[in-house]
Amino acid sequence: MLKDVPQEMIDRVKVLTGVELTDDDKAYQDSIQIQLGILLLQLFNIRQLKQAKQFPDAVAGHSLGIFAAGVAAGVISEDDAIKIVFIRSTKMQESYPVGYGMGAIVGLTRKEVSTLVEQVNSETEPVFTSNQNSELQTVISGSIAGIKKVLNLAKENSAQKTVLLKVPVPSHSPLMQSVADVLEKELSNVTLHDPSCTYLANFNGHAVRKVDGVKYDMINNLVHPVYWDTMMDVAQELGIDTTLEVQPGQTFTKLVKSKFPDFRTITMNNMNIDDIEFLLEKWKRG
Amino acid sequence: MVKRSWTQNRDAKAAKMESIASILDGKFVDTKNAKELFEEVIKPGDKVVLEGDNQKQASFLSKTLASVNPERVHDLHMIMSSVSRPEHLDIFETGIAKKLDFSFAGPQSTRISQMIADGTVEVGDIHTYLELYARLYVDLIPNVVLVAADKVDHDGNLYTGANTEETPVIVESAAFKDGIVIVQANEIVDKVPRVDIPGGWVDVVVPADEPYQLEPLFTRDPQNVTELQILMGMMAIRGIYEKHNVQSVNHGVGFNTAAIELLLPTYGEQLGLKGKIVPNWEVNPTPTLIPAIESGWVQTIHSFGGEVGMENYIAHRPDIFFVGKDGTMRSNRAFGQMAGQYALDMFVGSTLQIDQFGNSSTVTNGRLSGFGGAPNMGSNPTGRRHSTPAWQSLRPDNDPLGKGQKLVVQMVETFGSNKKPVFVDHLDAEEVRGEAKLANVPIMIYSEDTTHIVTEEGIAYLYKTDSMAERKAAIEAIAGVTPVGLRSNAKELADLRAKGIVALPEDLGVHRSEAKRSLLAAQNMDDLVKWSDGLYNPPAKFRSWS
Amino acid sequence: MEKLHFNFDTKDAISKPVHVGVVASGDLEVIFRPTDKQTEVNIVTGSDGFKEVWSNVLKRFFDRYPIQANIEINDFGSTPGVVNLRLTQALEELHDEK
Repeated sequence: MLKDVPQEMIDRVKVLTGVELTDDDKAYQDSIQIQLGILLLQLFNIRQLKQAKQFPDAVAGHSLGIFAAGVAAGVISEDDAIKIVFIRSTKMQESYPVGYGMGAIVGLTRKEVSTLVEQVNSETEPVFTSNQNSELQTVISGSIAGIKKVLNLAKENSAQKTVLLKVPVPSHSPLMQSVADVLEKELSNVTLHDPSCTYLANFNGHAVRKVDGVKYDMINNLVHPVYWDTMMDVAQELGIDTTLEVQPGQTFTKLVKSKFPDFRTITMNNMNIDDIEFLLEKWKRG
Repeated sequence: MVKRSWTQNRDAKAAKMESIASILDGKFVDTKNAKELFEEVIKPGDKVVLEGDNQKQASFLSKTLASVNPERVHDLHMIMSSVSRPEHLDIFETGIAKKLDFSFAGPQSTRISQMIADGTVEVGDIHTYLELYARLYVDLIPNVVLVAADKVDHDGNLYTGANTEETPVIVESAAFKDGIVIVQANEIVDKVPRVDIPGGWVDVVVPADEPYQLEPLFTRDPQNVTELQILMGMMAIRGIYEKHNVQSVNHGVGFNTAAIELLLPTYGEQLGLKGKIVPNWEVNPTPTLIPAIESGWVQTIHSFGGEVGMENYIAHRPDIFFVGKDGTMRSNRAFGQMAGQYALDMFVGSTLQIDQFGNSSTVTNGRLSGFGGAPNMGSNPTGRRHSTPAWQSLRPDNDPLGKGQKLVVQMVETFGSNKKPVFVDHLDAEEVRGEAKLANVPIMIYSEDTTHIVTEEGIAYLYKTDSMAERKAAIEAIAGVTPVGLRSNAKELADLRAKGIVALPEDLGVHRSEAKRSLLAAQNMDDLVKWSDGLYNPPAKFRSWS
Repeated sequence: MEKLHFNFDTKDAISKPVHVGVVASGDLEVIFRPTDKQTEVNIVTGSDGFKEVWSNVLKRFFDRYPIQANIEINDFGSTPGVVNLRLTQALEELHDEK
């Protein structure tokens, strides 16, 4: 994953966190390695784009992605992003060793999913309506027992697809409050700046132009659903018609394409930076 | 005793105009001085009308307004029929504006919903167009109006042409009440083709850096009309247009009504209805009407606005459209809405949701789109006293003093394209009202005004029902296999059919097998161009050739 | 992709096979074949999770038009309205041929 990333950046992670990114399948079994690895790859992509003099009008991160988005918008430094993500991933790993996770439901509206979640959610088997990835793709988060019950109900209520995700943590639910508390303390010592472009916030899907909204998102986004679908609606209403997805993968490009078929999209995963620069400049000329 | 001055507004306006003397040359202000102009003449708390509807936008002036210093210009009360462009809401984020009265916000429906909920935007009211225009003369009299013109001469006379739309109603509200009229112009000419707004009503003209934004909103490609829409169109023609002898009509924006327009010259002709129904229209110059115009179905069309690509066709058909001596169309949104509310026999529209009682709304899923013309055209003007056969056909037989009613028709498929039911027990709009803390549930057309609902299953003649229970049963009977529709059973359906409250295709003599795309008078954009004798020039995004 | 199977106890035997519709996005093809066995509907659909909706559409159809037939449906994401249109069109073709 990190073969193109300069050694200097990998070394910096070691200095800041003590974690040695070995960039192999075995290492990526570990959620701290994988989160730091993805962040570093994204920071490298952002450096490449800056070097090519390509600057966004708006940034949108999904969960972990908000830290790279914050770097791209000049809110947080690379070093601070690495340090915070290290703490975030460590605390996430410690928070729920067993019995918790996330599930995804395709084919039901958020309202329909929420009704099912309310039927199941209890103190012993907590489960919450979580990320909104598209109109008909909703994630739920909480205890595995609760999630399984909701997924079964969803199937009975004509969901097209239900999946128990391979995520060992009930992210983006109120169960993550302890991690948010730690991040609040840590981020109080970090210097943050107003974003240089529109920042689309996970926790409420709003366009944010001041540092306070970004900071709130960095502290609390694990406690709230990621309102990705709303973020994209807002981006479109702001006049955005082109998206660029940093590595790895192309999940979000696919979501954008199915929502806005007319959008121009680029994924860094399958295009080199020279071609990207050429395309973006061409589109700017119209 | 101090004698009060009766010219305080005039004096204040004179002082404002004096303050811009240094940048004013006649009525003209340089493009580069537009920001300074705004900072001088727009005062904190002013009521400002910004022209912009669903087609035409005073985009240079809206961008200029978003660029002013919020320390100098702030807390404005904006009055806009349509919230369409990003900066229309950006000005609320930066504090330039605070309060908003509007009608439609489709292109900014997510953001406006968020910003009302978090208090960034304080809403006066979400109006129908006519309410908004009318209140410009009552309690929303503007201090400054910002409008767009195609051409201006050196005396400030404006040519607004085919897209005159709401410019006159806005300008008049300020020009005669000491408001300041600021115009952005695409082009300065020695002589305008015709005077749409007299120069005497205009205070300041700014040449725009680029032509105002204009959207081809009413263009529907026949290629995308489905067989289900054709079936519904056939039912509507037989079961409503023919049955009620409808003479004057407005069609909504959707493909359902485009299908009807394209069926008149074919299916309508087969039924022998030519010359008998819908000669008179209040509608935008939608290209799908070309075959009906060319084959002699349509006698007159008055329009709210223009339509990109139709200019030349309209210029060559002055018997049909409202065209000036100069040969170009004149539209008028205020008069169009007035005609839509008061003059027409029938409105036919579509919606995203209809509840079990028959209320409909396009406000769904956290999106506060507001409404276009539908609430005016889709409401019954109870003071009206028409003698047309359609109006009279809805008059109750048993009441000598009984009134007729405007036909308000909703055409929907029972399930939307996302396979979610259109018929619901409760509208999403009810929740949106709570989230955005609105005074009223944003219902587009109320049940009491809705006389007919057409679905692929059949027609519900709601005006014939004599209780809410019967109205609900009629809706259930045509709501297909939605949860609302599943409440209907075979016996209820038989009873409603016997009473003439519900009609299925077979009751109307409509053959489903005839619902084929080949029945459309035009299959695609190219066909429309051919029908128009090459006079229609489709916008690039609707062209498959060239 | 999902395969669905339904049976109905309807007795108005059809005389001829009929075929309407096409397998295209948002559309479906419907094939009616005469049978002397129990009415049977076999559906292959590209959209999962709509068994209940199919059941409702078919139940309503056979309530109104109790034909006895072997029915094959190949669906590519059509709405219930389109399904009903194709079923009733097939029915009309049967009557036309009489």
